[in-house]
This record gives sequence, structure tokens and C-alpha cells, in this order.
Amino acid sequence: MSDLIRRDPRQEWIARNRLHPQHAELIAPAAETRGPSGLIRRNPHAVGFIGPNGIKRIDRLAGNGPQLGQRRGGAKAAAEVQLPLITVVTPDFYVVAVMDMVGGRLTGHDKDVLGQAHKLVRESDGEGAVVAVVFGESKEEAFDKAGVDRLIHLEGEAYAGYSPEARLTALSVIESQLKPRYWLFPDSINGGNELGCRLAAKLGERPATQAWQVDSSTAVCRGGSQRIDITRDTPRLLLLAEECADPIDETRHEVLPIELDTMPGTLVRIEDRGQVAVDPNQIPLAEAEFILSAGNGIHDWDQFHKAAEVLGATEGASRVAVDDGFMPRFRQVGATGTWVTARVYVAVGISGAIQHLQGIGQCDKVVAINTDAGCDMVKRADLSLIGDSQEILAELIQLVEQHRQGGAEDAA
Amino acid sequence: MPHDLNLAVLVSIGQHPKSGRARRAEQDARAVELGLKLVGERLELLHAGEAQQEVLRSYLGMGLKEMTLLEQPSAGDAVPALGRYLAQKRPDIVLTGVRAESGEASGMTPYLLGEALGWPVVTRIADIIKVENGEAEVLQALPRGQRRALKVRLPFVASVDLAAETPRQSAYGPGRRARIDNASVDAQQDQLRSQWQEAPARKRPKRLKVAKAKTAADRFKAATAKSQASGGQVLQNESAQEQAQALFKLLVEEGVLR
Amino acid sequence: MILDGLLPVLITMALALLVIGAVRRINLWRAGQPESVSLIAGLMAMPRRYLVDLHHVVGRDKYMSNTHVATGGGFVLSLALIVLVHLFGLDSKILAWALLAATALMFVGALFVYKRRQNPPARLSKGPWMRLPKSLLVFAVTFFIVTLPVAGVLPEDFGGWVLAVILLIGIAYGLGEMLFGMTWGGPMKHAFAGALHLAFHRRPERFGGGRSTGLKPVDLGAEVLGVAKPSDFKWNQLLGFDACVQCGRCEAVCPAFAAGQPLNPKKLIQDMVVGLAGGSDAKYAGSPYPGREVGQAKGGPTQVITEGLVNPETLWSCTTCRACVEECPMMIEHVDAIVDMRRFLTMEKGNTPNKGAETLDNLIATDNPNGFDPGGRMNWAADQNLKVMADVKETDVLFWVSDGAFDMRSQRILRAFVKLLKAADVDFAVLGDEERDSGDVARRLGDDATFQSLAKRNIAVLNRYKFNRIVTTDPHAFHCLKNEYKDFGGDYEVLHHTTFINELVKAGMLKLDMYKGGTVTYHDPCYLGRYNGEYDSPRELLNELGIELAEMERSGFRSRCCGGGGGAPITDIPGERRIADMRMEDVKATGAELVAVGCQQCTAMLEGVVEPRPEVKDIAEIVAESLVEEVH
Repeated sequence: MSDLIRRDPRQEWIARNRLHPQHAELIAPAAETRGPSGLIRRNPHAVGFIGPNGIKRIDRLAGNGPQLGQRRGGAKAAAEVQLPLITVVTPDFYVVAVMDMVGGRLTGHDKDVLGQAHKLVRESDGEGAVVAVVFGESKEEAFDKAGVDRLIHLEGEAYAGYSPEARLTALSVIESQLKPRYWLFPDSINGGNELGCRLAAKLGERPATQAWQVDSSTAVCRGGSQRIDITRDTPRLLLLAEECADPIDETRHEVLPIELDTMPGTLVRIEDRGQVAVDPNQIPLAEAEFILSAGNGIHDWDQFHKAAEVLGATEGASRVAVDDGFMPRFRQVGATGTWVTARVYVAVGISGAIQHLQGIGQCDKVVAINTDAGCDMVKRADLSLIGDSQEILAELIQLVEQHRQGGAEDAA
Repeated sequence: MPHDLNLAVLVSIGQHPKSGRARRAEQDARAVELGLKLVGERLELLHAGEAQQEVLRSYLGMGLKEMTLLEQPSAGDAVPALGRYLAQKRPDIVLTGVRAESGEASGMTPYLLGEALGWPVVTRIADIIKVENGEAEVLQALPRGQRRALKVRLPFVASVDLAAETPRQSAYGPGRRARIDNASVDAQQDQLRSQWQEAPARKRPKRLKVAKAKTAADRFKAATAKSQASGGQVLQNESAQEQAQALFKLLVEEGVLR
Repeated sequence: MILDGLLPVLITMALALLVIGAVRRINLWRAGQPESVSLIAGLMAMPRRYLVDLHHVVGRDKYMSNTHVATGGGFVLSLALIVLVHLFGLDSKILAWALLAATALMFVGALFVYKRRQNPPARLSKGPWMRLPKSLLVFAVTFFIVTLPVAGVLPEDFGGWVLAVILLIGIAYGLGEMLFGMTWGGPMKHAFAGALHLAFHRRPERFGGGRSTGLKPVDLGAEVLGVAKPSDFKWNQLLGFDACVQCGRCEAVCPAFAAGQPLNPKKLIQDMVVGLAGGSDAKYAGSPYPGREVGQAKGGPTQVITEGLVNPETLWSCTTCRACVEECPMMIEHVDAIVDMRRFLTMEKGNTPNKGAETLDNLIATDNPNGFDPGGRMNWAADQNLKVMADVKETDVLFWVSDGAFDMRSQRILRAFVKLLKAADVDFAVLGDEERDSGDVARRLGDDATFQSLAKRNIAVLNRYKFNRIVTTDPHAFHCLKNEYKDFGGDYEVLHHTTFINELVKAGMLKLDMYKGGTVTYHDPCYLGRYNGEYDSPRELLNELGIELAEMERSGFRSRCCGGGGGAPITDIPGERRIADMRMEDVKATGAELVAVGCQQCTAMLEGVVEPRPEVKDIAEIVAESLVEEVH
């Protein structure tokens, strides 16, 4: 309750009354102070105040009007605004959204799907609740802000790793228990598409796939090769494309757990034998998430290969390095080689030909190690290290090795 | 690999994303490649669709002498026919692509077949390592080039991911000489689909970064943050050690150092 | 003389062996596929082809051409006279003296051959070829001496039996090498096979100053597409391989060989000979394929060539620059053979290396090698306001844009050329999105099916419209349209843009400033020069701009390839050097600051050389920069 903005009539009165002994105290610090040089300094941040709706207002009356914002009390002004809590007491129907939960957290795609779920609830008659189904361990703390009214969290041995059959059984139980009006899945490679298709096949529903514009009557779906849009009646089961709807961000929800009936046993015919260790250099360049790429400026190739190994990075190369025979052709990055999508791309001794820069266009973070501060790669890079690549790589190898050893000791 | 392993690969008519022209579908071709690796020419190639599409020969050009065509009208539903055919033929493994390259491309075919046949479905596989004692060891493709090992009981349906081995080139000559056998099946109309409207894909609006800031200062920050970040940090006069430290920090922050 | 009785016997035996060998050899060639040639007309034309066309090529090396005239002429003359004098025993002093003169001539020639073989250049094959000058000398000397008594210079019984035995050995050796060896696989085989090769050449148009460079189409209904086994070659191609003299001129000019890629045109032809006759290459005594050992290759007429005889990488190293064909004194068609074998690899085996398969798939699905949207072919000209054939239907000049439309660097060339066309007020139009790749790359990569499909569709489009001439900035498209579309019913007048601009300048349609800049050299694109004989227009054009060309050592018909032809950048066979780098070294050797080029592929290859290097510009760009634009 303390966050609610309250008017203080007395303070307002003082602000209005220029003859009040406390008036100057209340008004003066707002904008101007005399600086050390004796000049009047104006603090632009102090101008204006936060209005009752939480939006900043600037009072053009230059202190002649009441300065309400001052009264919200110092530190509290910066505190997070408590979002309104939406409660659904007795839902008339359910919209079930099955979450991907990559790394135990809701993905952006998951949040879009929850946003879509609320959109469907709003468009339907009656009061609906959005149910999120989460499998496995969850580290997510903000289910409430993502729009989860009800949560079904299924944990345990049966749902660990790759367990589509067990998960499908669970979904069938939910189907019979909640009889959801809509089933929503993220149409993603992180499991959403798979579970959605499995459930659709089991229920005999014909799902809308890659649906990107959905309301309660029609769904627009992207067809094959992203070339056609199919407009159809909205089915009960939807596999939603990314950015299908805006995520929830202005409300909080209850996140009440739903207990499921007892689960029938599942015949497990697909056995998860665990993730396989993949040599970073075996990962196709286009898929690799961390690439250490070599160009003309590399002189010590052994060191470069060692660096890639120590860092656990996939090796890439510029055209010149490939032409000169230091790297095989399939390592070439660029418009004439492979288009890469790495999250971190470290370009060592690559000046950045236009074809190369084209090829790394989708990389998140680009690091340039180069002797020439004026080269195009430096202009593109998020971090540029200007200097001898051999020295920098040597230092880096050392750092990483220390880090690894430290980590090993910690673990021990 | 057991020498009596029976393997069927379902192939579809692909579509080039730029020209829209029919072609060998990329995932289906990988499925054929995987099939050829496992059982060689004994692989049974299946297509359900319109009669005598020249593009089918590009699958045959990968080194197969014949394929079976389950003829369907252009707006037909291929799954029931495929299901009946496969139930009768009973191969040990059925390989498909993950998604078609044209039309609805729902990616439902392997699941519907799995449901119809009562077989397990493994999705997005990159390779089949070995088949023995009625079980197959399968590598499943995960994002970012990662792999997961699975063990599945035969018979099963598997969809092949783009991460599987690149398909061999299709040779014109053998493809032209190979035989396409028509298997007579009941054609089934896709009733639901005929009610849908299809149109060339519209450009999807890019989601704007809506500044949900409560204050003008926050909104101002949100609107200007991008341009502030566009200039990269340049370390020019620091020692090699400091520079390496900065890079190391970035790698740790991004979580790519494992 | 003692020999009198033996000599006719020896000669008869040698001739008989010659005939038996010839029949055997001919049967080896007949294992090839039928190809109709006019036998009589070919044989009638043969002397002229030898004396004029072949010597035109041989004459580039004066030493060798004179030597060959003396030796070869002397030998043919001697042989005819030996038959008359020693076999039929015609007792004529005149004939005997003529024979003496002929053997003397041959002797002199053979001396020069001998001298050449003292310290032979690396390109020449050694082995039996080192023996040949001695054999020639022995043949000439022994028959000279044997004829002396007939001519009455020496008494009949001169020398006694010692000399007789020595002569007998000499004659047997000489006849063995010259007659027996000719049809049984000795070095003299070249005379027999070479003569017939000239008579039955697969491209008779090449004789008498003509030009025939377009590849022959594949019958797509054939049982085997392309050449799998030596017997899949046409019979006269097999004959052509047999004509090789292993002079190694092809090897000396081959860019792939120089770059250390595993190709040596001479070895390839010799491997074909091994294939047609059966056996191994153990006796081959010339330079190997770079990085490959000699002696491992085995083959036979009905064995698949790429399984044991020739490594596919050898075939894919070729840039189809035609330098070997241009240089071959026997007019052997290396490029035809290589593409024939590539056709098998691509269309039957599906084994085009590296990016080959992807490129072909793209060509099939999008009509351009890089898989761009075929509807975006006119994007480069969004600001150019070009007329499109579909709208105008009729034009004077059809500008064939080529796939350069998709490449940002080539677009600069296209824009420069359009600027010139507009400045000269040429009535021109483009095909726009109706244009397709000419099929050049598909064809050189051995995919004739795709080439034919592209060609037929292009021709169907072209035949819908009326135009007088086609002009293109791409020599590869130029070659296809001009020479290779004829087989599919597309016969057009096609000009390269340098030819066309040159015409415009000569007609005074373009006002040009003098070129202001440093030294300039010109790189002849293979498909413009060697394939189509256009060496002059680009040079004239540059002269018009006041440019004194600093010619490279290898220019004109001897120009070295940039490495970009024949799909070589796509198949990308590793070597020790890059061809483009070597070509740039040639450029640097002239001290030029700018290299003028007439091909977007050459531009791309040469600009791919690491800087610092001379600038690379298309002639259209250079001319457009010097254009005096009139202010209206």
C-alpha cells in the first residue's frame, strides 16, 4: 500500500504559498544550485516530478505550481511499480500452454505463447484461466509476470531428459481432467513442436502450425518454405510461431498449482541415453555458437588451433586463410563460404572483407583481434583488441587454463 | 547392421525457398542418404502424391533403381494411404523429413503414421548408429550442433533433421532410367483443407521494441539505448594481458566457455 | 653385296609388321563410338592440313618446325624411295641419288633432333623418345650407305661382311623403330596416328583458319551419359590421343599444372592412350601429375577411367582455358575429352566435387548458380530505367546481362556499360527476369542435361523477340550464345561488349577523353580470346583512350587463365599456388598499375588476390570513366 501515490495537502499548500517559511526548502533543490565556480547549475534530472499515473511530468510553471512528486519520498520513487494482480477464482474454461523451458526458464517464445493464451481468453466468453504446463526442473521465478494463472509442474525421474512418451501421457491426463478449450504450444525446435504434434496425433486434432496471427475465429499459418499463408478456422490445438502475440507485461497472475489425477503408467519405447559430447570442431560452422576464426594475420597456426581447443570453440577462417591452404575450405566463413550464426565470433587477424562481414551478419557478439585499428572488422566488432594476436591468444589461453583449473579445484 | 533390415523412406516434392520451384526436399534427401547408408539399394522409396512428377527422379538419381508411387489427387490426404501401405509392408524403420517444404507443412506426417501404426516416433534424428537385437541406437539433433543418444525399439518412425549427413548429389542419368511403380491405393480428399484460403506469405511485421518504461527518462533510455551500444569497445593501448582479460570476461558473460 | 638378298626380305617383313600393327591399332580406335567423318575428303585434305594448319602451330617454334620438316620430309621421301630402290630393285641412278639426298636431309634433321635431346626442356618426355634421334640417325646413315653402291658411288662389294653385318643390324634397328614402332606403339606412332588424326579430326572446321570451340551436345537418351570407359570416346577422339608426340607444350602452358594442381594435359592424353591400348602408365617418361606418382595407373578400353586410370581430381582441376588445345601441334582436343569424362562423373555418378552439386542444384531450381531469387534479376537496374523485351518486343541491341546481375562487383561493370549504351543512344533492351544463366558453368561441370534445359528455355525466350544483335559483358555467356546454342536452334549474332564499344567509338558515337593514369596492361579472357579469337577490339579500344598497353609476357592466344573458368573455383581442387595469384604476378611483372579485363569472372578472380596489387577494372568501366558527358 505504501507504493500508492498519496497527495499531501499540507505540502501542496506550502508549495503554493510562497510566503511560507518552508516554501524555499521545498521548491529550491528542484532544479538549480550554485556550482563550485559560482555559476548557476541546472540539474535536468531534478526537473519535473512523477505524476500519480507514474509518468513523469514537467511543470512549466517554474516552481510556481505545486510540486507533487517530491512528496513520494526519496528512495521509493525508484522502486519497482507493483503490477496489478489478476485473479481467476472459478475459471469457466482453461487454455493450456505447454512451455519449452530451455535451461529451466521460460523462453521468449514461451512468453509469446502465454500472451497468445490470454488473448484467446479475452476474446472468449466467460472467465478463462491460462494453465502453463512445465516439465522437469524449473528455475523460473516470474511465472506470475508471464501470465500464468494456473501451473502444472511435473517433475521427477519420468520427465527428465528426453521423455516425450511420459510427457504425452501427462498431457492426455490434463486433456481428460481440464478439457481445455485450447491447447497451445510454441512451434519450436526445443520440444514444443514435437509435443504438440504428438498430442495432436493422439487426440486426432488437426493443429494449426506456425500460426502467427490467431484470434478465436481464424488463424493465419505460415506454410512450407515460408512462402504461403494459410487462413483457416482456429482449431483447438495450435502450434504458435515466435512473436505470435505480445507477452504479458502489465499484470501479475496467481500461479496456483493444479494437482493432476494419478498418472497411468507409460510404455517407454524411446530410451534417453543422455547428451553426447560433441567435439566443437565437429559442429557444422553454420550451427556453432562460439567460433574462433583465423585470417591472414595469423602466423602461429599451432597456437591458433590450441587456442580453439582450449576455448572449446569451433574453428572458422577467412577466404585468404583457406586459399593459402592453412584451413580447409569448409571452414571458410562469409558470403562465399558459410553463413554463421554464432553467439560469439572472435575474428583473429581478419581485416573484414565485405563478403566476410556479410557472412557474420547474424552473430551476436563479434570480437576483433587485429593490429590495424582502422580495419572494417574493428568497425563491426563489439570488442576490439588492437595488438599482436599471438601475445593476446597466449594470454587468453593462460587465463582459460587457470580458470579451468580453478573450476576443477572448486568442484573438488 | 542386420542384413535383413527393411527400411522405407517417404519423400515429398520440395520447394526452393527463393524460386518456389519444385526440387528434391532437403530433409527428405537426407533421409534417403541415411537410408542408403544403412541398407544401400534395398531401401524402399515411397511417395504419395500426384502422378509422375519429374522431380521424384532427383531422389532416384541418388542411386536407386525404383520407387513406389501411391497416387493421390493434388489436394489429397497422403497419410491414410501411406499408413495402409506401410501396415501391409511392415518395414522396420520408416524415415521421413521433419517438415514438408510446400503446402501446409505441418510436420504431422511422421506422428500420424506413428499413431496409425502404433509405432514410436523419434524426431529430428541426425544419424542411426546401429541396429541390433530389435533396437536401434539413434542420434538426435539438438540445437547448436549438440546431439543426444536414444535407444528405440523397432519398428519405429523417425524424422530426419537437417543436421543429418548432407545428401549425395543426384545423378541425372540413373535418375532418368529408374522405374517409378504405381501402387494403386484409394485416393482420399483432404476435406478440411479445401476450406482454407491460401495466399502468398505476407511480410510479418517486425515486433517493435515497445518501451514499457514508466518514466520519460526510462523511455528516453529505451529509445536511445541501441545507438549508444552500436559503437564497439576498442582496447588499443592496454597490455596484451588486459586485453585478454577483457575478452575472457566477455566469453564468461556470454556463457560460451564451458 | 651380301645384303642384296636380305634387304628386300627385311623391308618386306618390316612393311608387313607395319600393316599388321596398323590393323591392330585401327581396331583399337574402332572400339570407340561411331562418328561419321568423310573418309575420302579427310584423306584428301590431310596433306594440306599437315603442311598449312599444323605447321602454323608447329611454326611457333621455328627450330622445331624446320627440324621436323627436314626429318619428317626426309623420312617420308626416303621410305618411298627405299621401297622403289631396295624392295622393287628399280635400278635407276636417279632414284638412288634421290634416296641419298633424302637420307641426307633426314640425317641433317635428325642431327638437330639429337642436339635438342642433349639437354631437353622439362616438358619433353624422355624414355623411348630419347632413343628416337639415334634411331633416326641410324636409319638415315645405314640406308645412305646401303644406297651408295646402288648409286654407283661405291663398288658393289664394298666393305666385306663386317660392314655388311653392321649395316644389317643398323637396317633392322632402323626399320624396327621407324616401321614396326610406328604401328606397335613406338615414338613413331605419332606419324601414323597423327596423319590419320588430321584426316579424320572431330572438328574439321578448325582447319583452314576456322574456329570450332563449342562443346558437342550429349544425347541425353544414351545408355551411358558422358565417357566412362575409353571405348565411350568417339573413335576419332581415341585416334587423336594416339597422335600425341609428348612434346609437352600443353604442360608448359597449363595453368593448373603450374599451380601444382594434379593435372598435366600431356599425361592425361598418355593415360588415355594407356586406356585405349590397355596396361599401365609405368612406361610414361614425362612429368607426372603434380603430387601424384607415376606407375600406379592401370586401365583398359572397357574399364572405367576414373577407377584406377585417372583420378577425378585431375579432371576437375581443368579451367577449360583451352591453352593446351591452342598450343598442341597435333591439334588434340584435351578440353573435349576432359568435359566428356566430367559428364560421366556428374550425370552418371553424381560426383561433382565441393560446391559443384550445390551450384548445379541451384541452377536447376533458380536458373542461377548461387540460388538467388530469379525474380530479383533486375534489382541491380532499379535505377537504370532499362527497357525490357517483354514490353518492347523489338529492339536493335539485346543486352544479355548474365548472372553478374546478382553480384555487386559485376553490377558496377553492368552499370558502366549501360552508361555507355545510353551515351551512344543505342536502341537496346534487356530480357529482365526472363533471362537465365547461359548454362556455361553447368556444361563445363559436365551437367549437359541442365545446360540443355537452360539453353532451350533461353532460346525459346529469345525466339519470341525481334532484335538484330546480342551484346554481353560476360565472355562465357558470349561463347555459349554464339557457339553452343546453335546445336539447339539458337543462331544469333553475338558481340562481346568490348567489340561493340569499339564499334561505337569508331563510328564516333562516344566522345572519350584521354585516359589519365599509370601503366595499363590487358588480360585476355580465355573465352573471349582463345575461344572466340577476339584479341584486337579490346586493345584497339584501349588505344583509343591513349593507353599504351604494357603487354604481359603471356598475352593474346598465349594468355594465362585467371583460374575462374570451367567451374574451377567451384570444384576448388587444391594446388600449391592459386592460378589467380600467378596471373597477378604476370601483371605485376609489367609494372602496370591497372589491369584491364573484359570478363566479370576474371575481375572477381584477380580482385581476389590479396592487396597490395594493381587495380582491376573492366574495359567498360575504364571507358565509362573517360566518357565526355554532354551537358544538355
